[in-house]
Amino acid sequence: MRLDINTYHEIADSLLRNKSRSLLTGFGIFWGLFMLLVMLGAGDGVKGLLSDNFEGFASNAAIVASSNTSVPYKGFKEGRYWSIKYKDMERLKKLIPEVDVVTPMISQWGQTAVYNSLSTSCNVTGLNADYTAIEAPRMKYGRFLNEVDVERGRKVCVIGKRIYNELFPDGGDPCGTFIQVGPVYYQIVGVNVASGNLNINGSTTQKVVIPSTVAQQLYNRGDNVDIICLTAKSGIKMTSLESRVRQVMGREHYFDPTDEPAMMFLDTEQLFNLIDTLFRGVDFLILLIGLGTLLAGAIGVSNIMMVTVKERTVEIGIRRAIGATPRDILSQIMLESVSLTLIAGMFGIMFSVLTLSVAEKIVAASGEFTPAFQIGFWLAVAAAALLAVLGVAAGLAPALRAMNIKPVDAMRDE
Amino acid sequence: MLIELKGVNKTYDNGQPLHVLKGIDLSIDRGEFVSIMGASGSGKSTLLNILGILDNYDTGEYWLDGRLIKDLSERQAADYRNRMIGFVFQSFNLIGFKTAVENVELPLFYQGVSRHKRHALAMEYLDRLGLTEWAKHYPNEMSGGQKQRVAIARALITHPQIILADEPTGALDSKTSVEVMDLLGQLNREEKVTLIVVTHESGVANCTDKIIHIKDGVIGEIEMNAQHNASAFGASTIMK
Repeated sequence: MRLDINTYHEIADSLLRNKSRSLLTGFGIFWGLFMLLVMLGAGDGVKGLLSDNFEGFASNAAIVASSNTSVPYKGFKEGRYWSIKYKDMERLKKLIPEVDVVTPMISQWGQTAVYNSLSTSCNVTGLNADYTAIEAPRMKYGRFLNEVDVERGRKVCVIGKRIYNELFPDGGDPCGTFIQVGPVYYQIVGVNVASGNLNINGSTTQKVVIPSTVAQQLYNRGDNVDIICLTAKSGIKMTSLESRVRQVMGREHYFDPTDEPAMMFLDTEQLFNLIDTLFRGVDFLILLIGLGTLLAGAIGVSNIMMVTVKERTVEIGIRRAIGATPRDILSQIMLESVSLTLIAGMFGIMFSVLTLSVAEKIVAASGEFTPAFQIGFWLAVAAAALLAVLGVAAGLAPALRAMNIKPVDAMRDE
Repeated sequence: MLIELKGVNKTYDNGQPLHVLKGIDLSIDRGEFVSIMGASGSGKSTLLNILGILDNYDTGEYWLDGRLIKDLSERQAADYRNRMIGFVFQSFNLIGFKTAVENVELPLFYQGVSRHKRHALAMEYLDRLGLTEWAKHYPNEMSGGQKQRVAIARALITHPQIILADEPTGALDSKTSVEVMDLLGQLNREEKVTLIVVTHESGVANCTDKIIHIKDGVIGEIEMNAQHNASAFGASTIMK
């Protein structure tokens, strides 16, 4: 293969000789790649937006809450309500060694937080320090609750993003200041700006988190707990623990362990699996459509090159007569095909990057999302490599046909 | 001898076998100016294709400059064509989207000669054929005579052992035909180029030094024609 500046001239010449045809053929490739990359980028972006909702949430956790029984059991009527007790946490930990963290949640809804002259509605939630294993906080200022806070029943709180914004519109570090919720003043020890949309008993952004011991006393809960959150030890699937949790709770609170409605058991693993499957399905669909379009484009190139070769029989015959080897002809047609594919494809890559960045700007301007639609560098490199492969594949059949043109064919044509 | 053919046979088999060349024996020496004459269907084009290594023959031997040309690979055939043979065709066979100078350069491109060198050489040959100011023109901007001169420059540029001209005047008017034949004669005399012209026009054949008549696939009379008086150009023939 002789690669010098003339080779490029030759390719440019033969592609430019039939501008509209080259353009239309290239458009097939351009469009295919454009579609593929835009869909991949947009798909990833939407995935990113969706998974922001689950940000910081443990993927192997479960939420246990009490409810009304639906079947009679051990002499109790159906429809009976039972309550989770503090002791249940100990019990679960002891009887099911695979459980890692067991942490309570006590919620009081519809409270008002007041700071100086500003006030905002909030939910008060009593938690333990190890709740971070369920939902990772994103602390902007200060710290989360610690074990000492809980043990000593300190009147301290961690406030959510919305509450911080409402009560401290000027910003700044609020740690150390006191806010009033109901009759009690709490000292702020941290600001949690996590904004995931997967919430247990109300949005994190609107919570005033206080030690569970404080909430228990303040709201006269006795030893009742609203919700227990569990995580499984690493390597153990939460789903496999469900029946045992039901056994333990059922025995203690006299409900049938097979009575599903009696106890809510929400398994995040199942939730995440569902979403994962959904994402995978979307990815597959995108690849199928994108690659299909691209393939159609490549077949278009192959087709046109076939016609071109037929048209250029005489020219190729002349070249052969004056000394071009079959290999010269083969590489010429291949290079034409690869060039056409690559040039069109590069425009496709550039245009899709442009489109995605415009889409990013528009979505970002419209509100609270910070989308990431843009395709990665390596995806673009992979796309370029795919183009080269497609170009070679598309050029193969026409090039083989061109190679078989005999020099005599040129002279037969008058 | 530059060219030696011994008992060359060629049969085309398109449905029904057609014996085109029936044992051709022919020798042509270096520096000769020869024409092969024959009616259409006499086998002269087939003979030319074999001489130009464009086609294979079935039996016999073809020696070109001491090399047996038989059962060559495509690659080897292309290389021999490129280095030993220059072609001039009836329909010029210039590449339409290339300028005159680019057309002349093309054989050197396939030899792998550097760009500047082949450009300089191509310009030199165009100059010699009086086409300097046409170098940047495309074939469709030139007259038939000019096109044929470009084709001759392209044939000459690799210093081939032989130049094969297939009806070189077939698409030209009589005045230009004379010019082209004069040019070929001049090249033969001054540059000692071996020339083989295939034609069915006796006027064209008369410009050559030796006329080989071919009829029904065999060599007939070989006429020595150093005086160029076999028949006048255009006289006693069906000329344009």
